[in-house]
Amino acid sequence: MTQQMPQQQTPPTKRKKRIRVPRVENGIETMVEIEVDDEGGPSWGPNGAHKLLNHRLTRVDGPAKVTGAALYTYDRRAPGMLYGRILRSPYAHARVVRIDTSEAQRIPGVRAIVSLTDPEVSGSTRERIVRFVGDPIAAVAAITPEIAEDAIRAIKVEYDVLPHVVRAEDALAEDAPKIFPEGNFAEKERRGDPNAVEAELAKCDVVIEAEYRTPIHHHACLETHGHMVDYRGGESAIIYASTQGTFTIPDDAAKELGLPSSAVTAIVEHMGGGFGSKFGIGIEGKLACQLAKRAKAPVKLMLTRKDEFLMAGNGPGSWQKFKAGVNRDGTLVALRATQYQLGGLGDGSLAGQPYIYRAQHVYRERIAVYTNEDASRAMRAPGHPQASFAIESLMDELAYKLGMDPVEFRKKNLRDPVYHRQLDRGAREIGWERRPKQPGTGRGMGCAVGTWGGGGAPQCKVTVQIARDGAVTVAVGTQDIGTGTRTFTRAIVAEELGLEMKDVTEKIGDSRLGAANASGGSTTAASLAPAVKDAAYNARMQMAQTVAPLLGAKPEELQFADGKVIGGGKSLTWRQACAALPPAGITAQGEWKANLAASGVHGVCFAEVEVDMETGHVRPIKMVHVQDVGLPLNRLAIESQLIGGMIQSLSMALLEGRVMDSRLGAQLNPTFNDYKIAGTFEMPEMIPIIDDEDTREAVIGVGEPAHIPGGSAIANAVFNACGVRVRELPITPDKILRGLAELRERRAS
Amino acid sequence: MKRFEWANPTSVAEAIDLLRSAPPFEDPDEAARPIAGGQDLLTTMKEYIQRPSRLVNLKNIRGLNRIEGDGRKGLRIGALVTLSQIEEHPEIKRHFPGLAEAAHSIASPQIRNLGTVGGNLCQRPRCWYYRLEEAVCLKKGGTQCFAASGENKYNAILGGGPSYIVHPSDLAPMLVALGASVTIAGPDGNRTVPLEKFFTLPSEGSIRRENILRHDEIITEIEVPASRFAARSTYLKFKERASFDFALASVAAALELSEDRTVRQARLVLGGVAPTPWRVPKAESFLTGKPITAENVAEAAKIALEGARPLAHNAYKIPLTQALIRRALHRLAEMNA
Repeated sequence: MTQQMPQQQTPPTKRKKRIRVPRVENGIETMVEIEVDDEGGPSWGPNGAHKLLNHRLTRVDGPAKVTGAALYTYDRRAPGMLYGRILRSPYAHARVVRIDTSEAQRIPGVRAIVSLTDPEVSGSTRERIVRFVGDPIAAVAAITPEIAEDAIRAIKVEYDVLPHVVRAEDALAEDAPKIFPEGNFAEKERRGDPNAVEAELAKCDVVIEAEYRTPIHHHACLETHGHMVDYRGGESAIIYASTQGTFTIPDDAAKELGLPSSAVTAIVEHMGGGFGSKFGIGIEGKLACQLAKRAKAPVKLMLTRKDEFLMAGNGPGSWQKFKAGVNRDGTLVALRATQYQLGGLGDGSLAGQPYIYRAQHVYRERIAVYTNEDASRAMRAPGHPQASFAIESLMDELAYKLGMDPVEFRKKNLRDPVYHRQLDRGAREIGWERRPKQPGTGRGMGCAVGTWGGGGAPQCKVTVQIARDGAVTVAVGTQDIGTGTRTFTRAIVAEELGLEMKDVTEKIGDSRLGAANASGGSTTAASLAPAVKDAAYNARMQMAQTVAPLLGAKPEELQFADGKVIGGGKSLTWRQACAALPPAGITAQGEWKANLAASGVHGVCFAEVEVDMETGHVRPIKMVHVQDVGLPLNRLAIESQLIGGMIQSLSMALLEGRVMDSRLGAQLNPTFNDYKIAGTFEMPEMIPIIDDEDTREAVIGVGEPAHIPGGSAIANAVFNACGVRVRELPITPDKILRGLAELRERRAS
Repeated sequence: MKRFEWANPTSVAEAIDLLRSAPPFEDPDEAARPIAGGQDLLTTMKEYIQRPSRLVNLKNIRGLNRIEGDGRKGLRIGALVTLSQIEEHPEIKRHFPGLAEAAHSIASPQIRNLGTVGGNLCQRPRCWYYRLEEAVCLKKGGTQCFAASGENKYNAILGGGPSYIVHPSDLAPMLVALGASVTIAGPDGNRTVPLEKFFTLPSEGSIRRENILRHDEIITEIEVPASRFAARSTYLKFKERASFDFALASVAAALELSEDRTVRQARLVLGGVAPTPWRVPKAESFLTGKPITAENVAEAAKIALEGARPLAHNAYKIPLTQALIRRALHRLAEMNA
């Protein structure tokens, strides 16, 4: 991915266009079509000229969240509601021979049991084969969660246990048990000529062979996956969903409930994190719907924390093998890469190597390797943090071997000048010149680079309404997955109409409102913000038509600023202006405009760490992330995104990773005690820097790029601090102590 | 969790009676259990690892939540005293600093506000095989210790076999180092035993338990004697995640120094490396009569880990624990006690 040039804006012309505006004649409101100057549609204008956007706006839903008033799916209750629980397979691979629910049925308080061996539930007449520990088998709805929990344990399942495999190396072995009839791996990409690359490698001044691994990660959403299915039989249903896509719910749920999609409403008022794992209703939503249908009562089925670890998808692992050659001057000449994507039953994902860097001769193969683990899902920057860790570690190793400054070595192999300026900026902020030239002092610095797309598309329909009493509402069915969607939606409308944040109300998270895209790939802001801007702009144009005659001005001369409508040397307060509107007020629609969004970002991260040379403990001291974002809709929210990305990155580098037992085929750390996530004591000083030298007047999403280079920067800083290159994440004290012991042995011999 | 009876006694005798009279059980994990803060018990119940028929709530028993005494008389700590009470107690901070440090090192403030001394000493193992419902290990009545040849980076390097759990308590090593004893109430009255003798290795006591407590007994009090080394005590705990974690290794240490700065008495107990708090008497006696120098400290650390038998993935605990011992001893020597 490379940077796109700033979008050309349509130059202002005096062309005419026809728009529909409300008119009151004889007390009757009608819409009439009039001709106005075509201003060329909305544009953001210079990034430095905003009243609200590009400022630090506090989150509009903050007070509701910190006081507990915000309603999440977990909080939803309905009269007579039942609680659902899922029975999961204790085996990594087995045929379900028989299932006996009679004892569970007899437990008082149990209202419905559904089994995935039932073709009506599973939609398949084939025998049920479970393929990972945690694979769902059946579900129970009962009057309390405890009764449901007891009931799933009272279900008797007879299994025919089959051999399993949970390690990539084992899955690739010739005699490995087959996970799918087609085999245990699938080639995803093969590019370049391996022989030509080998020939070039033979001519290089320095050649390094190394392999790097990252474990499977977890999204670890604070709110687990789940739904409250408010359905008692009848012709319509409401699904409260913890989802990244309001509009991914109704179709799925309607199918299970046997209703038309239009009869199903999805509500996503607040949701507790998705990170790529929450699209569609999933197996848990399917089971919840089936239970509600049978019990004729609302069912809340939220996954338990253990369910969440075992069956709610994972961020795939990786195993990447390199042979790389450079010349003395620091040019990366040739790279041979084998990239295994480790996504359990899923394909996983990896950005192709050498990722952002240039190499003259590249051969790469990407292969998905399957194991008896749940299928991978998208996870914040799919395939990028893993690709980054491997290539940035390799680049660092090459730089040290050449005796080159790692920043200079990177610049030598990056063509895009944006990376150069960001590397310079990051180096300045962290104090790169203080970096020890010889590793082993116990303190060190590292850096890494990343990229992402983050563009938008025409997917959102936004409505802005202005009432005669001055109330302004913006409505769209989108969801705020914690990224600040509500806040920027309100800010765009307020700014366009010259109002303050408090003057606008936003309605989101409801599938009865205008369509919106699911929040994936950092596309929400870039898809939604232009449509909001367009709707607000159209509302302003309509309002100008109505108000201009009152001021004796032309509509196009009006200014909307500071809560006033100004023109013809006079002004009206917002309320006065609105009072002149027809009874129904103004309703304006907005759609995506290509000139208001862009895609393609760059980011760099620098980290400084301290390594305790006796205990192997790594303490991050400081991190700096420099990120271009186009037009920063809300600086505070973007800084929070960058800080959140740095936290997730250092957590990935130092702590996180699924641990499997190969004999049991089971995950050993499906808890927040053993799946360790960074807490407050792990937090370094974190400096988020919005790269304002990016002058694109267009919106780009930055949820994902914030999580790409940070982990690699930490890993490289660890090497600079202690001289141990840990090539498998997470970088835990045991690995550092082992590495330090090896270093001592090598020195002694 | 499995359904259970909830009983609310107001006296120790009543509590014992309720434990004794609970429905008979075949599996010790189904026996009635006393509950205080519930910070560990409830986590095992939610996973159906412990499935007690009855919970006997101790919180309504008066008089068990007090800390009495001082640096001169020693301490009497009721079993229901919370971990926060210990870390904040001025007499403990001043005269038994290692104990306050040990309490402070535990989990999170929320857990320390609820977790009790008695519960902390009676915690069940944190081994991830033990905590996994799907793995029926030795500790749960199964036939094998999965950790012995499995993912054992957190398991024991000392005193292991046939089970390789490590004892999770942070208070235990420190209390053992301070020479504490524990008072146990049961159907036949009270007994007081040195805390060191309270914990049992998998090879000596029942494999299903970590201590000598019978199912119808409860801890009522911990006594920490006044000593010449309590004021010069410290607890160093190494966590993989500083914010909230169990010990990968820890050291509870206390010293009495002579006027010439040589060691008159030393106490050294290791945590996180063995199925019980692991006292290292050889290292203690090596230090006795010697000054705290870099050489002596390094030698003591070496001696302390002499018997270590690491498993496939936990040899790192040897240098780690040695580093902690060295640091703890240097820190004690520098303390103004």
